[in-house]
Amino acid sequence: MTVGLNAFILVAGLLFAIGLLGVILRKNTLVLYMSLELMLNAVNLALVAFSRYNGSMDGNLFVFFIITVAAAEVAIGLAIIVALFRLRQTVMVDQLTALSR
Amino acid sequence: MNELLIEFLRGFTATNEWAAILPEIALGVLALSLLIAEMVLPNKHQSLVPRLAIWGQLGVLLLAAGAVSAGLSSERVAFSGMILQTDITHMMRAFFLLSSILVCYLGQIYLSKQNLPRTEFYALVLIISAALMLLVQSHNFVMFFVALETVTVAFYVLVAYCRTSQFSLEAGLKYLILGAMSSAILLFGIVLLYGAAGNPGLVASSTDALNYSELTNFVLLNADNAIVRVGALLVIAGIFFKIGAFPFQIWVPDVYQGAPTPVTAYLAVASKAAGFIVLMQLLRGPFIGLSDFLVPVLSVIAAATILFGNVAAVTQRNVKRLMGLSGIAHAGYLLVGVIASLSVSWAVYAVIFYLVTYLLASFAVFGVMGLVAGSDDAYQELDQYENFARKHPFLGGVLACGLGSLAGIPPLGGFIGKLFLFVAAFQAGLYGLLGVSIIGVVISIYYYFGWIRESYFSEPSREVQTDASGAGSPSDRFLLGTLVFATVIIGVLPAALPIIP
Repeated sequence: MTVGLNAFILVAGLLFAIGLLGVILRKNTLVLYMSLELMLNAVNLALVAFSRYNGSMDGNLFVFFIITVAAAEVAIGLAIIVALFRLRQTVMVDQLTALSR
Repeated sequence: MNELLIEFLRGFTATNEWAAILPEIALGVLALSLLIAEMVLPNKHQSLVPRLAIWGQLGVLLLAAGAVSAGLSSERVAFSGMILQTDITHMMRAFFLLSSILVCYLGQIYLSKQNLPRTEFYALVLIISAALMLLVQSHNFVMFFVALETVTVAFYVLVAYCRTSQFSLEAGLKYLILGAMSSAILLFGIVLLYGAAGNPGLVASSTDALNYSELTNFVLLNADNAIVRVGALLVIAGIFFKIGAFPFQIWVPDVYQGAPTPVTAYLAVASKAAGFIVLMQLLRGPFIGLSDFLVPVLSVIAAATILFGNVAAVTQRNVKRLMGLSGIAHAGYLLVGVIASLSVSWAVYAVIFYLVTYLLASFAVFGVMGLVAGSDDAYQELDQYENFARKHPFLGGVLACGLGSLAGIPPLGGFIGKLFLFVAAFQAGLYGLLGVSIIGVVISIYYYFGWIRESYFSEPSREVQTDASGAGSPSDRFLLGTLVFATVIIGVLPAALPIIP
């Protein structure tokens, strides 16, 4: 049995939607971070699937760039979260409201 | 064996295209040499680092100008379709260099009031400048994404640069989460376009589906395809986040307030300008086949952006938030120009002209803000500008000229910029948007003049002491004076700026 392209795209779309909802609804910055990674990985899955079914290597190549960028983003993001935690002792988004007052 | 090697080297030099991106490479080298200079120089000579950054960038500016006058200015594709250089990208190179030089200068003023590491600030500013140049030159979605992320990731660090201030860190976190989300949305759009354009079952499908030219051909023939439409919308949504257009503007006031003032200026000018150039390249390139579908969407967003930015700015008392919200309104005017550029081709240059006048006026205002600000950078209220012009007549004049130009008062550059944009919109037949823009300009005069009134005409309730603190050094005055002078010259003699052909 072979899995069709549509199945891959469906899974990728679902993962992306779950990630997007997580970013919008969750309050803990670390969970927000996981949701962002989920979105990027959904994109990676779709890219690899398209690349395989369209018969070109561009998509596979693009995935490496996305993984690298995601790693850089996580490194900086965790640094900011740790620095903020030292000042405020919280990682919950709804308590980080010094600016909107 | 030897001959093979020579043959290989000859082939290598024949396809050597690195000269095309010489200014970007020079900026990268300069950024690294700043970090080395910090390690090598003894403590008492550390003040050489910002000078090296500023004068080095002036050298790169000369290099870029030399490359243009040496005949490289014609359109050329380099690195097998990764990069497309046009007259627009050459202009934007000068634009980004100018803004990063000014940001380095403002950074020097800002860092002298803070106890923070210094060299990394300049290095990051230079790297962002190089990546912005590559971003507007990119002709392939892989190149586009990598350049965009280099800019965005470096901006995350710069926004959170003041790591002893909870405001700066909070702004950094907000920018990071929303920025990463918008990048993911943009990527999903790119993937959908790639998947559709590479599908061998569709007409005009391509094996190089991430290239703009190939995509243009594909989209022209498949404009009704739902996947193509959704993909294009997602890509545009990602770019709208970067320029702060209406439904994606939530991050702007908070991030602009929390970020260090020079970074706020850099975000407001260079990052936004790059977003607009990229948006125009995409709309006039790959998405030209979708114009009928996209123009109504863009028009509604432009009108909403203008109205939201202006109305929200009216009640603002914090000047950094005020600049952020009024920047949203300026993004709306520029969006009108972008829509006009789909039918009137010189509107592209009107948008660039507007961006230049916006750069000059914004940096004049942000320069004054940087001089006035205390060590707590996020707290800059309108009340601090009470009697400001009586205490510092020169800085008050600079502030009035900068704000006047942003509001679009006739003898200043901002007026001509708006005039060109509105004439282009008129020629394109966008009468509704023109009406909304003019309402927006009228509202904006109210809050810009509220700031000027605060500094000139407020009741001298307390005794006015003419203290020298915060008046700026002679070089600060020279730089701000030059910015105002350029604004006035452009306003009186628009032809002094050779942008509109």
